[in-house]
Amino acid sequence: MALARHSTPHIVSRVAASLLGGYAFTWGFASLGITAQLGVGVDYEDAYITVMLLAFLVFLAVFCWAIAAPRLSKVWAVLLGGGGAMTATAWWLTRSLA
Amino acid sequence: MFSSFRLSMTWLHTWFGLVLGYVLMACFFFGALSVFDREIDRWAVPQSHFEAQPMPSFDRLLDPVFRRMRAHPDDMEATARRVIGPLPERESLKPASFYAYTTHRDPVLDIGGEFGVANEPKDPADDHLHVHGWMTIDPRTGVEIPETSRKLGSDFFYPMHYSLHLHWMSLGYWIVGLAALVMLAALVSGVVMHRKIFRELFTFRPDKRTQRSALDLHNLTGVVALPFHFMFALSGLVIFAGIYLPVGDTLLKAQAEKHEKLEAARTGRPHDPAGVPAKMAPVDPMVAEAQRRWHERGMAGEVGYLFIDHVDDANATVSIYRAGTDRVALVGEGIHFKGTTGEVLHEDPPSSTASGINEFITGLHLQHFRHWLLRWFYFVGGMAGCACIATGFIFFVEKRKRQHAKDGSSGARWVDALAVTTVTGMIIATLAMLCANRLLPAELAGRDRWEESAFWLSWVLALIHAAWRTRPVLQARVAPAWADQVWAISGLALGAVILNAVTTGDALWQTIPDGYWPVAGIDLSLLATAALAVLVARRVRRAEVLSVSRAPADETPGPAPGFAAAETNRA
Repeated sequence: MALARHSTPHIVSRVAASLLGGYAFTWGFASLGITAQLGVGVDYEDAYITVMLLAFLVFLAVFCWAIAAPRLSKVWAVLLGGGGAMTATAWWLTRSLA
Repeated sequence: MFSSFRLSMTWLHTWFGLVLGYVLMACFFFGALSVFDREIDRWAVPQSHFEAQPMPSFDRLLDPVFRRMRAHPDDMEATARRVIGPLPERESLKPASFYAYTTHRDPVLDIGGEFGVANEPKDPADDHLHVHGWMTIDPRTGVEIPETSRKLGSDFFYPMHYSLHLHWMSLGYWIVGLAALVMLAALVSGVVMHRKIFRELFTFRPDKRTQRSALDLHNLTGVVALPFHFMFALSGLVIFAGIYLPVGDTLLKAQAEKHEKLEAARTGRPHDPAGVPAKMAPVDPMVAEAQRRWHERGMAGEVGYLFIDHVDDANATVSIYRAGTDRVALVGEGIHFKGTTGEVLHEDPPSSTASGINEFITGLHLQHFRHWLLRWFYFVGGMAGCACIATGFIFFVEKRKRQHAKDGSSGARWVDALAVTTVTGMIIATLAMLCANRLLPAELAGRDRWEESAFWLSWVLALIHAAWRTRPVLQARVAPAWADQVWAISGLALGAVILNAVTTGDALWQTIPDGYWPVAGIDLSLLATAALAVLVARRVRRAEVLSVSRAPADETPGPAPGFAAAETNRA
């Protein structure tokens, strides 16, 4: 079976990527999603609600992708890199907004 | 992960579904019970065996009760741990806010409030320093319902549904949140695995092998209620988004606070107290004015939630919200008054598009509307979710147990033991709690804690029993634990009905002619549970006996472990 081809460390890393990496990416999406809207003048509450309505669908999508994607290193890179980059951009935006 | 998307999704479905399935079972089961939480409350609290009541007069009834209310000892203790220096005496604390909350299904009224303390917090970010007080009263008299008469539905089963009663570091919320995400993923991956979705709707072959019937039922319940399950898992996550993604408390704290202050300025509702003591104006005329304004808009006018902020301060405000009985969206159409004069400060404006969607899906999940047929559909949907998860476990075990028996592996046995514990064990724990509720004397000190002990202890017993009586799975037989526990369910459900009749006098032959459906409905549901359990127990016992006579001769190897894919393609 295909399952046997994967070592335990691979499975652990894959699951960690799907959950922790997925969370980091979702966090980045949420913070950047809100700050970007604030930047173009959307009301805070509207920006917040819109993002929260979408955030868990984003998590769902990256979670499934993290399990399915062929290369695990790419999964980690995209999720942590993307999440980090979005959070950093959001942080930078909040400073320039304030 | 694997050669195809479909195989990867199958892996996700099997393993995440198995591990989080145990949690999901609790979420679905207690969620389904929460649909009738207020009715369970009434069943469990005999003092509340009367009709649902509207919000009582504030000035005549609630005000004196609020003035008598003190900070709750539990919250005094919890707050003492968060602050520097000793807290002031409980009796000396001044109220900062009051609330009263009711629904169209509540005979009794939930009230509470916050009491100000001047201590500095240990954590400077801890900006909500109040001690809370709360109690349940009879809204006709203002008499307190003692805390030992616990409202089992809204106070125990409902929080179990979203927090598992694991409060340390909000751990329960996070586990439930993870389970909800996995539920969404299980639905998506389930659809990817099954290419003949339409056919699943009409396929159930109860006379085939257990493995086949279990899979039929798993697919059927999963597909029939798919939109329901998806919406519930998603809206559950959105409701607690503030816990799961606390961006407003961290990265965007400054923005969130600025918004709060702007909002206060825009609506004329002061964010902070003025620090100047002032006398409150009568509240009943404000309620009448709020109802007049709702009536003008053609809306049902019962008050659901009444909130007074900055009590006895020049900045006091009174907010009056509608009980949302006539629509799905959870929106209070709040009208806000100046507390010292009674003049209207602000009316909640119509929702923006985003808020409107949020209120709709939140309302869809929390169902404050008055619609009994729909309420029953919710219950059936929740139970379909339970059936879907339970049959998922059974399929997992049936598919692997022959191979595991040959290999000498005990995997299938332990999965089965945990499945018994979470499926039938959980029902046993719930019913044991209902029986304890009727057996424990009303005046017993710590009665509510005893009820809780009955719940957890009977669940642990069910676990031990399940671990012991699943041993035959090692020989690829059906575990006797299932039938044993289903028989126990039948006995306990019947016992609860008898105990209710004996201890409260509100037996079915009283409640049905009186049309007192909240209590009669629980009793009838318990009887239906008992009857269904007898049917299931007999059937499972037959399968068990059959598996004993067949197992040694049955050398045909089962499907290989690891994947459901080959099996599901044939479905």
